[in-house]
Amino acid sequence: MSIIKNIKFIIPLSVLFFLLLLLWHELFYSKQNELTSSLIGENIPSFHLDNLFLGPALTEQELNGQVSLLNFWATWCYACGLEQDMLLKIKNQYHVAIYGIDYKDNDVDAKNWLKKSGNPYVKVGKDINGEAAVDLGIYGTPETFVINKKGQIIYRHIGVIDQQTWDEVLYPLIKKYQQENISA
Amino acid sequence: MKKIILLLICITNFFLAYATANPIVSPDTYAFASTQDAERFTALTQEIRCVVCQNQNLAESNAPLANDLRNKIYFLVTEKKSNQEIKTYLVKRYGEFILLRPPFKYTTFLLWFFPLLGLVVAAFLIQQFFRRQNSML
Repeated sequence: MSIIKNIKFIIPLSVLFFLLLLLWHELFYSKQNELTSSLIGENIPSFHLDNLFLGPALTEQELNGQVSLLNFWATWCYACGLEQDMLLKIKNQYHVAIYGIDYKDNDVDAKNWLKKSGNPYVKVGKDINGEAAVDLGIYGTPETFVINKKGQIIYRHIGVIDQQTWDEVLYPLIKKYQQENISA
Repeated sequence: MKKIILLLICITNFFLAYATANPIVSPDTYAFASTQDAERFTALTQEIRCVVCQNQNLAESNAPLANDLRNKIYFLVTEKKSNQEIKTYLVKRYGEFILLRPPFKYTTFLLWFFPLLGLVVAAFLIQQFFRRQNSML
């Protein structure tokens, strides 16, 4: 009888302890913006997107040969406006090529937006029906991929790029991959 | 008796809620070459989670991303890709949590066994409760 009494006391307590442990872990150690993508380390899925401006289409092949950023954005996306200054800074100060994919947007709005706030992109492709976004596993805008010289995805950043993210995560990674020998 | 009636009402409500959770998109929206493909599409959209409205499946969600994913699944079904190939494609991009029925493996064993464990513990506690009541009579 005493064993059963003990078990009755221990089981709820251990369940409670386990749940608290789980909550504590989620509260302090989970990374909110981290979503798994098995595309890391693989070649970018192929895409062929019409240029927002006059000129040839944007394809995945264009991203080969340099470490670059592939940024999904849209004018209807509030958060995209928040990272615009940082993207311009990356272009002008850090000289990293940024390719843009304008996600489900209106051409006129997109052109006006880039004219007004500055164009950080080497080239902008239009993903009108969101097909390229699904191929790359996009949840929403803004989302940015770091692409190495071989055209492989090496990192995925969900959300706005701010100075801290750039200094602590993206730029160190880019510098590391810039030194990488393409034939290696 | 009251408790039994209450329990029955709860069970009925559960099944009613389950039955009324109808897909918002009828498979008729998409044209298929065969009924087999149409059935595959319906089954897949019910098993894939809408990633931006996580408690709904693709068939029930009208979020724009859910619509894009439905279109992609439609395209892959018409391309004669197998269900497994389609699921692999989606898991690769959106992670395993896109599957409403997660595969059984070492990272998910707790997910699968916890309800069973809960059931065993509940059965044990209920048995203890009745034993104590009987001994009091």
